[in-house]
Amino acid sequence: MKLASLEYLEEVKKRSNADPQYLELAKGNNESYTLVLEPEPAQGVHERIVIGFNNVDGKMNEVWIGERPTLFTLSAPYGVWVDILRGKMGATKAITMRKLKTQGPFLQLLQGANRIIRWVEILTTIPTEFEGNYAQYNLPGK
Amino acid sequence: MKAVVVRGIQQFEVADVPMPEPAAGEVLIRVGYCGICGSDMEAYHTGMYAPGLIVGHEFAGVIAQVGPDVADWRPGDRVVVNDAVPCGECRPCRDGRLDACESLYMIGVTHDGAMAEYCVAPVRGLHRLPDGVGLRRGALVEPLSVALHGVHRSRLKPGDRALVMGAGPIGLLTLQCALVAGARMVAVTEVDPTRAALAQKLGAAVVLDPTRDNVVVNLSALTDGQGPDVIYVCTGAPQPYRDAISLVRKGGQIFVLGLCVEPVEADFMSVAMGDLCIEGSLAGRAQFAAAIDFVAQGRVDVESLITHEIALDDAVEKGFKLLDTPNSGAVKVLVRIGGELTADR
Repeated sequence: MKLASLEYLEEVKKRSNADPQYLELAKGNNESYTLVLEPEPAQGVHERIVIGFNNVDGKMNEVWIGERPTLFTLSAPYGVWVDILRGKMGATKAITMRKLKTQGPFLQLLQGANRIIRWVEILTTIPTEFEGNYAQYNLPGK
Repeated sequence: MKAVVVRGIQQFEVADVPMPEPAAGEVLIRVGYCGICGSDMEAYHTGMYAPGLIVGHEFAGVIAQVGPDVADWRPGDRVVVNDAVPCGECRPCRDGRLDACESLYMIGVTHDGAMAEYCVAPVRGLHRLPDGVGLRRGALVEPLSVALHGVHRSRLKPGDRALVMGAGPIGLLTLQCALVAGARMVAVTEVDPTRAALAQKLGAAVVLDPTRDNVVVNLSALTDGQGPDVIYVCTGAPQPYRDAISLVRKGGQIFVLGLCVEPVEADFMSVAMGDLCIEGSLAGRAQFAAAIDFVAQGRVDVESLITHEIALDDAVEKGFKLLDTPNSGAVKVLVRIGGELTADR
């Protein structure tokens, strides 16, 4: 399924909420997030993609496409997100190195590093289609 | 004479005080209008002005009397006063950084101010008001000079994109100055609907309400994903200071014009990683004459900022207390004291 599509987000929610390790790490988390995938026309990615979700006591509650005010907003060029999902760049490293531009209480975000790492591991199990030239890195899923 | 006097935290009162006398190098000014500034509000909340002080530094009036040794000025001259007069002798002054003077003489801050029927001012701070600029608009020259100085000092270049955080009087004037300076797009963040509408009217490309809009997403769309080149923080609230660091583009500048009394925790690693510049300025001494010209030429609309004109007797109840009320619709509250005084009064 296409990265950041509603179908993809619903799958993320389903798999995250079914993962005991993730749920243990996310327990008590009530944060909301916006993720921005910036276009890269040179790579064939022409549209900005904006998605969001919130957690209620650690479970992904609602997922959406589009803009809402959220506690955190993480933005980066499309290729950075692809690199994270391919395992070429760690998510927390991307955050600390500001490859992912972060708006929101930074320390609070870093305190959830283990949860984020597990969450990305879950994402990599989803069959994922990337846009433009990044299609060569599509994930087969597990 | 009547004046607004500091008595303590949230304790300002209109009181009878002795008439001041101009000393050598000073003039006595009959005040026409005096505005309530954001810094006066900070003082109202925090007590940062000394008890007994007469407040007020945004004003215009007519010279009533000149002190000994004063040449070039005479009774009847219509004036605005640069409220921040440097000593000219300390290290910053000698380095040419007059606004950073260590002994800044500030009318209405370190010395008695102009929310009164009369005030004294050093002639070094006087500027003539040109014909065609009334005392009402003249009272907004001082805040305009602050905004103009900020934009002048910032790295904004023609064609740049800017964000103004906070659409109070300084934010609204900064918005206009940035546009005059050649910004191709200026966005504004503001939660108060009256101020947001005014920002839109005065040329903001977009006005974002952080409680309703995702500012990152919207700015990203307006700046090709880069973020603004310069962000002017013009508010006393702490959150925008934190947010600015992650909103500005890499290599961009955050310019602080607001006064946030409480310390702000901020992500300084992003400052280093983003090669950011953070600067600030307080007063507008160097741009005071330019600010007068901008008002006279109509290049900056100061009139639209005046939402309330009140009498001196009502300065506390209908001025300070009004501005202390969230979403009151107040932007610039002007205290009318002598009004548009004619030269022969």
